[in-house]
Amino acid sequence: MADEALFEFLHMEIVSHVYKEQQSGKGEMDNKDRAVCVSVLEGMGFRVGQGLIERLTRDSPSFKDELDIMKFICKDFWTKVFRRQIDNLRTNHQGTYVLQDNKFALLTQLSSGKQYLEQAPKYLAFSCGMVRGALSNIGLDSVVTAEVSVMPSCKFQVVVQKL
Amino acid sequence: MRIIQQEEKMTVHNLYIFDRNGNCLYYNEWNRKKQAGISKEEEYKLMYGMLFSIRSFVSKMSPLDMKDGFLSFQTSKYRLHYYETPTGLKFVMNTDLSVSNARETLQHIYSNLYVEYIVKNPVCVLGNTLDSELFSSRLDAFIRALPYYSPRAA
Repeated sequence: MADEALFEFLHMEIVSHVYKEQQSGKGEMDNKDRAVCVSVLEGMGFRVGQGLIERLTRDSPSFKDELDIMKFICKDFWTKVFRRQIDNLRTNHQGTYVLQDNKFALLTQLSSGKQYLEQAPKYLAFSCGMVRGALSNIGLDSVVTAEVSVMPSCKFQVVVQKL
Repeated sequence: MRIIQQEEKMTVHNLYIFDRNGNCLYYNEWNRKKQAGISKEEEYKLMYGMLFSIRSFVSKMSPLDMKDGFLSFQTSKYRLHYYETPTGLKFVMNTDLSVSNARETLQHIYSNLYVEYIVKNPVCVLGNTLDSELFSSRLDAFIRALPYYSPRAA
């Protein structure tokens, strides 16, 4: 894999660019603007996740069940993309999964506590999209959200949509 | 007896970080017994102005071809160490006289602390003062862990 700094810097600039574009002209950003930025970033991540998963699973056997897929995301996918595994996976066995990463790669340089907490969601949107895109190409439709309370630890929540 | 006294003297007094335009991005002190008697803004301007003049003086008056230029000066009580990065960032550290060369320390502060926690921090705008608590706490821990740092300097 290439130097991880390349993606980290590019991601920082993507987020900054999306927010600047949305703000151009107006003075303040309202919640609607912020929501648009988050969904643009999430959409980009979605397409990246779709492509990534094709590449990552080309040599793997097919998955037994939903839990197997989630374990793949927590171990192989997370390792390839973020260079570590998910620390904790919880599920209610009814389609909802919580993936906890205690040292999320895109948050470690931000802070190790509460500073800049309100800015953290901007840097999680793309990754949520990546997870959703990866799952979608494996055949699972889902809604992925993330929450942070103490950096750099964060939790991704995946809710699989039943037909 | 003498060895203990020597160790007590070893210390880092303070650190300044300036950007290429002369703005002081960061300042912290660990063992400063005497203040300059002027406001912080004036102090930063004085420090930067002095460095600018001394670098130009040193290169003009050098009897040989210059390599690194100005590195440090000392008085009977302290030594000032200077390190400038290729990108124009200036690191200035005052230590006691037992520290002869702090270049590696300053280089470490630049590549492992500044680059990691400021440049790679999406919220930090280059050119602004360094507000990241992560940066200050890591820097503080690093300084206190230096072999030549002693908390109770004479």
